[in-house]
Amino acid sequence: MIPLICSVNQTRGLPAGLTQDLVLMLVVAQLLAPAATLAAVGLPALFGFPLGERRTTWCVGAGFATGFAAGLATLVVLWFRNFVPEVVHLGTWFAVGHHAATIELVADGLSVPYVCFSSGLCAVVNAFAGKYLHREPGFTRFFVLLAVFGTGMNLMVLAGSIDVLFAGWEFLGISSALLIGFFHERQNAVKAALRAFTTYRICDVGLLAAGVIVHQAVGSGDFERLFSGTWPHAQCLVPPTTATLVSLLLVFAAMGKSGQVPFSGWLPRAMEGPTPSSAIFYGALSIHAGAYVLLRCEPLLDAAPLARLLLVMIGVGTAIHAVLVGSVQSDLKAMLAYASMTQAGLIFAEIGLGLRTLALIHIVSHAILRSLQILRSPSALHDRHELEAALGGHPGSGGWSFKDMLPEKFQRLLYRVALERGFEEMAVMRGVVDPVWRGLERLDAAERSWVEWLGKSWSWRHRRGGP
Amino acid sequence: MTADPAAAIPDALHGAMLLLTAAAVVAPLIAVAVLKLGGFPTSPRTPAAAALLISCLAASGIVLLWNSGNGESFSSGERLGGGSLIQIDGITAVLMPTVAVIELAILLVAPKRFLDVPATARILCAASATFAAFATSHPLVLVAIWVVTALPTWISIRGTPGSRPAARVFATAMLVSLGCLTSGTVMMLVDPPWERHAGIVGNAGGWLVALAVLVRKGIFPFHSWYPALFSGAPMSTALAATMPQIAAYTAVRLLIGHADHGDGVALELVTLSQLALVTAVYGGALALVQRDLRGLIGTLAMSQSAMVLAGLAGKVPMELNGAFCVWISSGLALTGIGLVAWAIESRAGPLSLATPQGRFRDAPELAAFFLLFGLAAIGLPGTLSFVADDLIVSGSLDDQLHAGLMTIASTVLCAIAVLRGWFMVFGGPTAIDGPKHLILRRERVAMTGLLVPLFVLGLYPAPLVRSLERAAGQLLGVPVEESGNPPPSLQESSSGS
Repeated sequence: MIPLICSVNQTRGLPAGLTQDLVLMLVVAQLLAPAATLAAVGLPALFGFPLGERRTTWCVGAGFATGFAAGLATLVVLWFRNFVPEVVHLGTWFAVGHHAATIELVADGLSVPYVCFSSGLCAVVNAFAGKYLHREPGFTRFFVLLAVFGTGMNLMVLAGSIDVLFAGWEFLGISSALLIGFFHERQNAVKAALRAFTTYRICDVGLLAAGVIVHQAVGSGDFERLFSGTWPHAQCLVPPTTATLVSLLLVFAAMGKSGQVPFSGWLPRAMEGPTPSSAIFYGALSIHAGAYVLLRCEPLLDAAPLARLLLVMIGVGTAIHAVLVGSVQSDLKAMLAYASMTQAGLIFAEIGLGLRTLALIHIVSHAILRSLQILRSPSALHDRHELEAALGGHPGSGGWSFKDMLPEKFQRLLYRVALERGFEEMAVMRGVVDPVWRGLERLDAAERSWVEWLGKSWSWRHRRGGP
Repeated sequence: MTADPAAAIPDALHGAMLLLTAAAVVAPLIAVAVLKLGGFPTSPRTPAAAALLISCLAASGIVLLWNSGNGESFSSGERLGGGSLIQIDGITAVLMPTVAVIELAILLVAPKRFLDVPATARILCAASATFAAFATSHPLVLVAIWVVTALPTWISIRGTPGSRPAARVFATAMLVSLGCLTSGTVMMLVDPPWERHAGIVGNAGGWLVALAVLVRKGIFPFHSWYPALFSGAPMSTALAATMPQIAAYTAVRLLIGHADHGDGVALELVTLSQLALVTAVYGGALALVQRDLRGLIGTLAMSQSAMVLAGLAGKVPMELNGAFCVWISSGLALTGIGLVAWAIESRAGPLSLATPQGRFRDAPELAAFFLLFGLAAIGLPGTLSFVADDLIVSGSLDDQLHAGLMTIASTVLCAIAVLRGWFMVFGGPTAIDGPKHLILRRERVAMTGLLVPLFVLGLYPAPLVRSLERAAGQLLGVPVEESGNPPPSLQESSSGS
C-alpha cells in the first residue's frame, strides 16, 4: 500500500511536500492512537490478563490525548494551507475486478476541528470515568468500549468515502448498544440496549442503501466523486435525482442515530448506561453523529430541496416533541436526554435551512454543555444543597414560562400528551413492532408444528392412534 | 527422452499437493483405527486432535503450494462427467483449511463426557469424508460422500436421548436429497449438460441435482430440518453437518460451467440463488423470535448458509468471490457461536432466550467470545463477513440489485438477532455466590483459532480475495481482470470527458 496525497500548492510559506507528509502522519495518528489503545487494553483482557485500573485509564487516555494533539497539529498545518482539503489515500483495502475498496480519509475545515473536539472530549470523560467507575466489575469493559467508540468516531469523522464512514458509524452503534447494556444484570438496561441497537440497525439500512446507490451512480464510494470544493461551499457532482435519493437515505440513517421522531424512543432509555458514557454518547458525540454525516454530505442536500424540507420538518417536530415530553420528566437523566433531543432537532432544522456553520457551532457548544450537565447529574442534589446553603434558603421558581400563556384546559391536555410521550412510542409499537413480532412468532410456531409433524413416528401402531 | 525442467516443477508441485491431500484425508482415518484398536490409553481427544492437526497443516500446505503454482488447478485420476477423481483448485485450497480448523475446534471444545470413542470416531470419519469431498469433482464420488457424511450425523442424532423426532426429520430430508442427487447425477452422466445441445434428460438431471442441493442446504421451502437439527442433535454433530456446506460445493462442481449457458451459470443455480435470498431473509427474521439459543443458532446458520448459495449464481467473479468469503466467515463465526453455546450448556444446561439468563458473571470470557463471534457473523467492519457482504452487494449492482438489498436486509435481521441472543444469554440478574464457569485452556485455544482468521482476514483481506478471484475466474471460465480498474463504462466516460 503506497500512501499518496493529492498535491495542493497553496501554502503560507511551508513547502507543499512537507505539509503533505505531515498531514498524512497526523491523520494516521488520529486514527491509530485510539485503535492501538483498543488492542492494548482489549487483547490482554480477552486472554484473561486485564490491565489494572490505573494502567487502563492511562492507556486509553493517552490514545485520546494523542489523537487530540495530532488533530491540533493538523489544524495548524491546514491553517498554513488556507484550509484547502487534503485527501489522504491510505491504499486499497481489497480489490476485485473493477471494484476497489479504498481507505480514503479527508482532512479539511470540518473533519479536523471535529476530531480535536471529539478526542478532547473523550479524553476528559476518560479521566472522569477512571475515578467514577473505580472498582466497578466492568471497569476494563467500559474502557475497551470507550476505545471502540473513539476509534469509530475518528474513522467516521475523517472518512473520505461512504464506505469508511459506514465502518466508523457501525463501531459507534455497537459500542453505544453495549454501553447502554453495561449494567447487564438490570433487565431494563438489557431492554434499553436492545431497543437502541434495533433502531440503529433499522436506520443503518439508509446508510447502506445510500452506499449502494452511490457506488452504482459514480462507480466508487469516494466523496471526491460526489462533491468537490472546500467545506462549507462544496459543489455537488451528481444529478439532482441521485442527490435527492442519497440525501433522503442519509436523513433516514441520521434520524436513528440522533434520536429524531419517530425513532426517539431509545434515547431516554439509553441513560441506563453509566453516567460517563451517557455524557459522551447522548450528551455530546453519538447524538450528533447523524448531524455530522449530514454536514459532511451537505452539497448533496443543496441539490435536494425535498430532503432539506423533510429535515426541517423532522427537526422542528422532534424539538417540539422533546420540549413537551422533557418538561414532565421526573428523572434528571431522562430530562437531560430530552434536552439533548431538542437541541439535536434544532441542529437538524438548521442544516435543513442551510445554516451549516451555525449548526457546527451549535453541535460543539451543545455537546460541551450537555456532557458537563450529565457528568454532574449524579451530584445534582449535593449541588442543590450547596446552592441553598450559599443563598441561605430556596432559590425560588424559574419565573415566567411560555406555558403560563396557555389556557389551563389546554395545559392539562398537553400535560397528558407529554406524560404519554406524545403517543409516539405507542403508535410505533402498536402500529409496527407488535404486528410484525406477532406475525413472526406465528410463523415460528407454524414451523415448529410442521417439524413436530414430520418427526412423528410413522409406524403402523401410531397411524392407528396407538400409544 | 529428456525431461523438461519447466514441466518438472509443476509435476513436483502436483505430487506434493497430492501427498498433502492424501495426508489430510487419511490422518483422521488412522486415528479412528488407533482408537478402535484401543491402542491409546488416555482420552480419545489426544490422538483425534493430533490427526486433525495434521489435516490442518496439510490443508495449509495445499494453500501455499497452490499459491506458489500461480493458482493453476490440478486434476488426476478417472474422469467422469465434468469432473475428476482428484481435483485440487482454488476452492480446495481455500475451503479445506477452513473446514479443517472447524473440525479441530469442534473436537477441542467437545465436553469430556460427550467425547467417548464412538463419538470421536464419528467426528473423525465425517471430517475425513468432508476433506475428501473438497478434493474431488467426480459426480459419483460426490454422491458417495453425501451418503458417508449423512450417516454418522444420523447415527449421532438417533443416539441422543429424546432426539428421535429430530433424527426422523433429518433422515427424511437426507433420503429425499440423496434420491434426487443420485437420479439427477445419473441422468446428467447419460446426457451431459457440460456438452452443447444437451437433451431433456440432462436438463432434468440438472434440476434434480438442484433440488437435492435445495434440500440438503435447507433452502426455503425445505429449510425446516436445519433448526430441528440444531435443536435435537449434539452441537458437534449439527456443526459438522452444516458448516462445511458439502451441498454448496456440489452445486459449484455440478451446476457451474454448463456449456448451454453463455455466462457459465446454469438456470438451476440461478433459481436456487433466488430461493436462497428468500431463505437468508426469512432465516434472519425467524432468528429474531427464537426462544432458545439452539433455535437461534439453527436459524442463523440457515440464513448464513443460504447467503453462500445466493452468491454462487453470480455471473461475475466478484459475487462468487463474495459467496466464498461468506462460506469461510459464516463457517468460522457460527462454529464459534455454536461452540460457546455448547461450552455454556455443558456447564449450566439448556439456555432459554425468553428471559435474560444472567450468565455474564459466571462466564465473562465465554461472553466475550460469543460477542466477538457474533459481531464477526453480522458484517462488523474489520471482520471477514464485512468484506463478504461488500463483495456480494457490489457484485449484484449490475444485474440483480434486489440481491444486494436482500443481503442488506438479511444482515440487519441477523445482527439484531445475534445481539438479542447475547443480551438474553449473558444479561439479567445473577446469583452473586453462583459457580464460576471459567474457560478451559483447550476451549480458549479452539476459539482463538477460529477468531483470529476472522479478524486478520477482515483487516487484511487482499491475499484471500485475490486467491478467491482466481478460483472464481477458473470456475466461470473467465479471465481475471486487473483488480482495482474502474468498470468499462466509467473508463469510457472519463476518457470522453
